[in-house]
Amino acid sequence: MTQHKLSRPAWIRAALAEFEARLLRYATSITGNADLARDVVQDTFLRLCAADRAKVEGHLAPWLYTVCRNRALDVRKKEGRMNPLAEGQAEALADSAAGPGDVATQKETQRLVMSAMAGLPQDQREACRLKFQDNLSYREISQVMDVSLGTVSNLITRAMSHVRAELGARLDLAREV
Amino acid sequence: MTIKLNEETLTAYVLGELEADQVAAVKEALKANDTARCMVEELRATAKLMGEAGFAEPAIALSEEQREAIHARAEAPGNVVKPPIRRWRPWLAVAATLVVIAGGAMVLLPALSRTRGFVTKGPMWLAEKKMLPPEKQAQVDELVQTMREEGVRREPIQRFFIADVNNPDSNVVPEHIARIAYEQAGAEGVPTADKMKHPAVPSESPAQSSPVPLVETEGLTWKAAAGSPVSPSVSRRGRVSGTERARLGVATDLDLKEAPRQEVQPEAFGYDAGNQITIGQPMPVAAGKSAALEGRMDSVRRLPAPGPPHDDPYQVYWPGHNTESYDSIVENEFKAVTQEPLSTFSIDVDTASYANMRRFLNQGTLPPPDAVRIEELVNYFAYDYAPPRDLEKAPFASHVTVAGCPWTPEHRLVRIGLKGWEIPAGERPPTNLVFLVDVSGSMGPRNKLPLLKEAMKLLAQRLGESDRVAIVVYAGSSGLVLPSTSGDNRQAILGALDRLQSGGSTNGGEGIELAYNVAIANYIEGGVNRVILATDGDFNVGVTNRGDLTRMVEKKAKSGVFLTILGFGMGNVKDATLEELSNKGNGNYAYIDTLKEARKVLVEEMGANLVTIAKDVKIQVEFNPAEVRAYRLIGYENRMLAAEDFNDDTKDAGEIGAGHTVTALYEIVPAGVSFTPRGVDPLKYQQPKPALSETARTGELMTLKLRYKAPDGDKSKLLVFPVVDPGLGYAQAEPDFKFAASVASFGMILRHSKFAGRASFDSVLELAEEGRGEDVHGYRAEFIDLVKKAKRIAAAR
Repeated sequence: MTQHKLSRPAWIRAALAEFEARLLRYATSITGNADLARDVVQDTFLRLCAADRAKVEGHLAPWLYTVCRNRALDVRKKEGRMNPLAEGQAEALADSAAGPGDVATQKETQRLVMSAMAGLPQDQREACRLKFQDNLSYREISQVMDVSLGTVSNLITRAMSHVRAELGARLDLAREV
Repeated sequence: MTIKLNEETLTAYVLGELEADQVAAVKEALKANDTARCMVEELRATAKLMGEAGFAEPAIALSEEQREAIHARAEAPGNVVKPPIRRWRPWLAVAATLVVIAGGAMVLLPALSRTRGFVTKGPMWLAEKKMLPPEKQAQVDELVQTMREEGVRREPIQRFFIADVNNPDSNVVPEHIARIAYEQAGAEGVPTADKMKHPAVPSESPAQSSPVPLVETEGLTWKAAAGSPVSPSVSRRGRVSGTERARLGVATDLDLKEAPRQEVQPEAFGYDAGNQITIGQPMPVAAGKSAALEGRMDSVRRLPAPGPPHDDPYQVYWPGHNTESYDSIVENEFKAVTQEPLSTFSIDVDTASYANMRRFLNQGTLPPPDAVRIEELVNYFAYDYAPPRDLEKAPFASHVTVAGCPWTPEHRLVRIGLKGWEIPAGERPPTNLVFLVDVSGSMGPRNKLPLLKEAMKLLAQRLGESDRVAIVVYAGSSGLVLPSTSGDNRQAILGALDRLQSGGSTNGGEGIELAYNVAIANYIEGGVNRVILATDGDFNVGVTNRGDLTRMVEKKAKSGVFLTILGFGMGNVKDATLEELSNKGNGNYAYIDTLKEARKVLVEEMGANLVTIAKDVKIQVEFNPAEVRAYRLIGYENRMLAAEDFNDDTKDAGEIGAGHTVTALYEIVPAGVSFTPRGVDPLKYQQPKPALSETARTGELMTLKLRYKAPDGDKSKLLVFPVVDPGLGYAQAEPDFKFAASVASFGMILRHSKFAGRASFDSVLELAEEGRGEDVHGYRAEFIDLVKKAKRIAAAR
């Protein structure tokens, strides 16, 4: 039997603190609705409460993402929503356009990156989110998205290729920053 | 270690996804490559920006109540699901089954609360059958009573209920059963016990009926619990096995080579009971009204437990999560005729491997070698063999062609072709089938849509020219994916099936309407006209009102089109709806849990007039040592039989349907050509030289022997054909022969076969072009495209 350092409630609390916001964003990206995402994430953590800790520890992040994703996909199906832009994303895109001087350049680059990422096919976008926002490894992403490692590698490569092309010359600027 | 510096490698490098030795190799290679270094710089900058920019979403948080709920649950003791207990306790299994029915394990209750009115009667049945332990029964009764008295608010049941079925002391179960029972009764009136006339669930052997682990369970635990000999880990989409290819870049050039695996037959990989515990026997097809009710109750009792990982999207299996596995195929070796003069195998008309290969190539990767079964690639194509002339002699014709072997010119290639007879139109009632396929998201698990597709392929292979098939799909919207098509255009039918994918929500009503319209438009007087609805029954968009649906079906049934309903999956099969629909639609309802069951229902029973012309067809070839030094059967590795099985009528083999073609290829080393048998020292006390019979000097190359049984027979008949090699070079061979050779050599390349000789993508293309022929449906052209794709992918590495 594994010795856990934290008590179970403390462990759950820690997981909640660490992953709540991340999972909510992820779930929102799938369900397209913050309220649904909250339900999904609540469900995810409730399941964590019922999970065999020994089997989850060491894989907590991919475990949570997998459960969250499956729940979110189900909710999306039930709600009949198809792949909408995440709530607030459009505004965020619009907001970030302006600003003085260097900040403006930076923001413009950022805006370009965001719009390039938003323009990615859904699977690439999801892989990128898990890679760049959630810092999951290819391996973990392949588990969460239920695709092969090769597919993950391919998705990320293509996505970065696309973003890189969209950025073009700006990359040189960015590199110097 | 050397490594190929392509964009994918560099991306993985920048993102820190390579192994230490690969990183070293990349670093080394980068020194000499300015372009690659530049790309690395760019990738680094891009990664940084992508990390920073993200998707710019506002941060959101759970509500306080939600967080409270989680903390409360975290504090609650005893909510960890225990490992499954082996001991069989009937009520537990029933409870498990019921929980499954009640919306696909407890976590599906949200679905349940939203589609109220479609709630299954499972829990009711449990309560009414007094299957619960007395104290639980009392609790349920009391709770139901209280709810009735108080008119409990119809709010969703607690979103999650974690029913620990292995823990009879858990008091969650009665409450929820009661709640569901109450809800059900409210929606549909209180069912009476006499409707539920089934006796108690029979006890089964422990292996068959282990209690169901409901929440997180290791795949391994599952395997053990189910007593399954097969790996449960075949994913519907996932490719990489977590454990097998533990790390990206096991292969030096980052091509993510698959570990040796073999695609297994769907049956073998466990649509069957191995992975999916079926409580009791497979449900018989319910024919007619009362049988349908029986069937419904049966399936309530016998719904499979939540099976392998991917059947239940909520099951998280960790770690060896989600893999597609292929057993390794050990390629048939050359056999010295002096040592093994007989080669025996069963025919195989499966074509799944071709579709699988196509999927890989279309995704831009080469298929794992063990996913390539050459005989299935070859048999994907129909060849122009003449049908039998004299049906008294045999229900199929056999054709043997011998010509030069394109990839090893000093060898000969023998093609054995069988062609089943076409039953003349009019000798059996023609069939007009419209498949109405639910492709909503919930049909994704492989015991649903993928299983259905396999089953439909079995059926499609039985159809003839006078039959018609159409496929209507429904999800969020519905559509005709295959207009009514003649049954002999098998490729079009199979192609449409291959393209079916799940996604979207379910609008059953619209689909039913369309399907009936197609069936009526193609109505065959005096024939069998049937809509086959395949679904898990989770109608959640459009006409979802059960009354409206049944009224619609009832009206449509007057047109003379019959309705067959095939229920799939276990999560949210809405048994009652389906059963009622089929009753109103002059039809039957069957629950399909395994390919075997599908075959039984779709092919043997419903397709009774779709003709199998011969069964247990076996081929045995005896080679003449005077002419042949060695031989090799190409493909059919998992169809090999022992020589003595040929005459053993108890040994099963493949079936051949009306109009079927079957093709098998042998590569032969002629007597004059050198051949070194592999691995064995020459015998010390024996001369391998056999004593030749008179016939051996006639110049016959080999003798082809076929055994088959009549579809209803149990005694086999034998056909014998001597074969002489006319000495054709492959250039003179007929186009079909070249095409088959092309497909086989392509398969060998994909399998990295050591026998591929000179075969190259270019030689494959050349042969395929020469062998293209008329190609009415364009399948050979598609093959040529696939070869080109493979060539490009291989070159890019």
